[in-house]
Amino acid sequence: MSKNTYFKHEGPWSDANDPLMCSDTGDWRTKRPIVDKDKCIFCGFCQIYCPVQVMEMVGDSHFEADLGFCKGCGICAQECPKQAITMVSEGEFVS
Amino acid sequence: MTTPRNDSQIKVITGNAAAAIGAKLARPDVVAAYPITPQTEVIEQLSLFHATGELDCELITVEGENSAMNSVMAASLAGGRVFTASSSWGLVFMYDAVLAVAGARAPVVMVNVNRETPGIIAVSCGQQDMISTRDSGWIFTIAENCQEVLDQVLMAYRLAEDYDIQLPVMVHYDGFYVSYLSEVVDIPSQESVDQFLSILKTQPERTKLVPGQKLGCGSHGILGGYLELRHKHVSAMERSKAKFDQIDQEFMDQFGRSYGGQVEEYCMEDAEVVLVGSGSMCGTIKSVIDEKREAGIKVGLLKLRMYRPFPSERIIESLKGRKAVGVVDRSLNFGFKGGPIYTEIKAFETQMGGAKLVSFIDGIANTDITKANVANMIDMTCDLAAGKDVPEVTWVSYPEANEGV
Amino acid sequence: MSEKKKGKLSPVIDYKKHEDPFSKGVAFCPGCGLELLIRFIPQVMGNDIVMTGTPSCSAPVLLGQNNQSWHSLSYFGTLMTGAAANATGLVRYYNRAGIDNTVVCFNGDGTAADIGFGNMSGAAERNEPFIYICYDNEGYMNTGIQKSGTTPYGASTTTTPVAKGSRGKNLRRMNLALKMAMSKIPYAATATLSDLGDLAKKLLKAKEMKKNGFCFLHVFAPCPTGWGYDPAMTVEVCRRAVKTNYFPLWEAENGKIRMTKTVNKPKPVEHYMEPIKKFKHLDDNDRAILQEDVDYELCMLGGLSILEKECVLPEAAD
Repeated sequence: MSKNTYFKHEGPWSDANDPLMCSDTGDWRTKRPIVDKDKCIFCGFCQIYCPVQVMEMVGDSHFEADLGFCKGCGICAQECPKQAITMVSEGEFVS
Repeated sequence: MTTPRNDSQIKVITGNAAAAIGAKLARPDVVAAYPITPQTEVIEQLSLFHATGELDCELITVEGENSAMNSVMAASLAGGRVFTASSSWGLVFMYDAVLAVAGARAPVVMVNVNRETPGIIAVSCGQQDMISTRDSGWIFTIAENCQEVLDQVLMAYRLAEDYDIQLPVMVHYDGFYVSYLSEVVDIPSQESVDQFLSILKTQPERTKLVPGQKLGCGSHGILGGYLELRHKHVSAMERSKAKFDQIDQEFMDQFGRSYGGQVEEYCMEDAEVVLVGSGSMCGTIKSVIDEKREAGIKVGLLKLRMYRPFPSERIIESLKGRKAVGVVDRSLNFGFKGGPIYTEIKAFETQMGGAKLVSFIDGIANTDITKANVANMIDMTCDLAAGKDVPEVTWVSYPEANEGV
Repeated sequence: MSEKKKGKLSPVIDYKKHEDPFSKGVAFCPGCGLELLIRFIPQVMGNDIVMTGTPSCSAPVLLGQNNQSWHSLSYFGTLMTGAAANATGLVRYYNRAGIDNTVVCFNGDGTAADIGFGNMSGAAERNEPFIYICYDNEGYMNTGIQKSGTTPYGASTTTTPVAKGSRGKNLRRMNLALKMAMSKIPYAATATLSDLGDLAKKLLKAKEMKKNGFCFLHVFAPCPTGWGYDPAMTVEVCRRAVKTNYFPLWEAENGKIRMTKTVNKPKPVEHYMEPIKKFKHLDDNDRAILQEDVDYELCMLGGLSILEKECVLPEAAD
């Protein structure tokens, strides 16, 4: 049999028993979602509609985006029934 | 005359029936069936075996050849033993999946009943379908007669599913001449076939697509990964040559029939002049050789049983030092005057110890390779051996082609 | 500290009983409808589904790179021509071998409506026991926005461009889900990303119904990149598609059609088209043609959903 270097199997198989690949998609973002904790009614709409599934529950109080992967699409802000999420330009956070 | 061995059965059946019986004896898990002339009888027979309960398998009556190949590919990758059959346009229609099967290293076994491919008018024998698909990365074998069709189907499973090989195998045989011809065939018993194939169960398991096991098939090869996959493929193809020879020996031990592996030699020991052929024409060539031998002409036949990978080592070994070699092609090779197999053998001319080569094109487009045609080819090759001027390429049944170009 | 008014947590979260098998950072565009869908399916149906798919926007994520993977599902990626045949092969072998399975054949509209329609139709006719999900972004988005069979009338794509002699696609879209419902399969349904509870129910129903055979889900999944709308609007575009009856939500069990969401006082299709650049060049006349198409399809659905009750068969001859 031939040597396995890039593949562990003879054919073109990927194996997710090894750690998954992951891109830093947070780098793509031009705007970030900022959640107003007071306005948040914990309905979870931002969580269910987030394509990347990065809106995480903070206790049972509100949701916050994992900025490592949030692509900044703004769906959470658009779907929030209480307008508790504002998309703020990343430029604001450059020190 | 064929003598029955052990518990085998002698029957007069067509090549298509032999293919179906061979497949049935291999106990496939999944069979995909779609008709095309001259293959149809294969899937009719399998459907009947399935209906009567003789064949316990999943029969998928697909809506086209493309789905036939795609379904057996997936079933094979899931872990099943699979079979399908096609011909000509059918093979072409499934061709994207044919390539994908090879790339996925799925050990699919199928038969292809050789038929011409220049247009729907071409309902006649020819190996153009095989030539058009020769570089798909499949192992191609070619059977001469009904018995060999059955035997090669069984050998194909041993080859395809061997852990060291893991490649799809396509068994080719001539449409009309072999597909519809009834001959005496020695049908081995189920027990003996089970025994012949049982060695596969002792090998390590190949990678399979199983729910929940987190494996994905079809991964992109990137950086050196793609090269690694392609090189593994080429290496497995190379290994399949010796493996096919070995399987032929084991087939001999089990069933008492041997064909020589990658190539079969007929009257080759002292042959000065050789015809190289493949498929059903070899029967005719053998009978003409018998006659020529009686007349004192030292002529032999080298029959190609494996076409991909190309059995170059065995061919060189066999042709080295002969005076002249005529290669008979049942197909065309555009851009080259000679036929495809001739052109490929020509690449090794310098290693053949001075053997001269000529190309014969015959048996395409509704023409028969008759005994007279074969005698003509042998005579011309003898002329070449004697130092006479012989054209490099001869269309045996169409003299108009030989008048210039 | 002010007393905060707590809302009720969306019931959609309860449908997501399983982990998201995908890596957090994968190569879908911001606001991608497909990404929302593809992460949702296994969270509802379980991580032990086997997915098959083809070259498409999903391929760069579903397929691995060398030995590595972007997700932990069992996956088979092959050709657009034979997607449903691949799923057929898997499910036939699994069932024969007694391996418990849920095979999800997951493809875009290019595969489902165009190049792979024949084999999908074949699998439906044979009633193969797997789930076919078409994510419909109305064209070939991955190759750079070309027209497909589900691209609507008037839409601008790179093969139906807006130019002097052309005003976008000059043909009406096919109704893929209705075609499949007409195949008399156990289950066919439409769904979209604004109505995730409805989608979840349909996914679970398909998982249940596949024991009876072929199940088909047509999921409307807009593409901000290819259609030219603000990525924040993906879910809103879906919502408007439903509210205008551009994409009605229904299901058919054994061919019997039932609306799962009835829209009272539907808005004109213009409301749906408004945020989308691919329709920007259209005039009132074009919009009327699209509206007529939407009305026609809704009428057909409505007719089919009452067919059984109303239809009087002629008396049989002696």
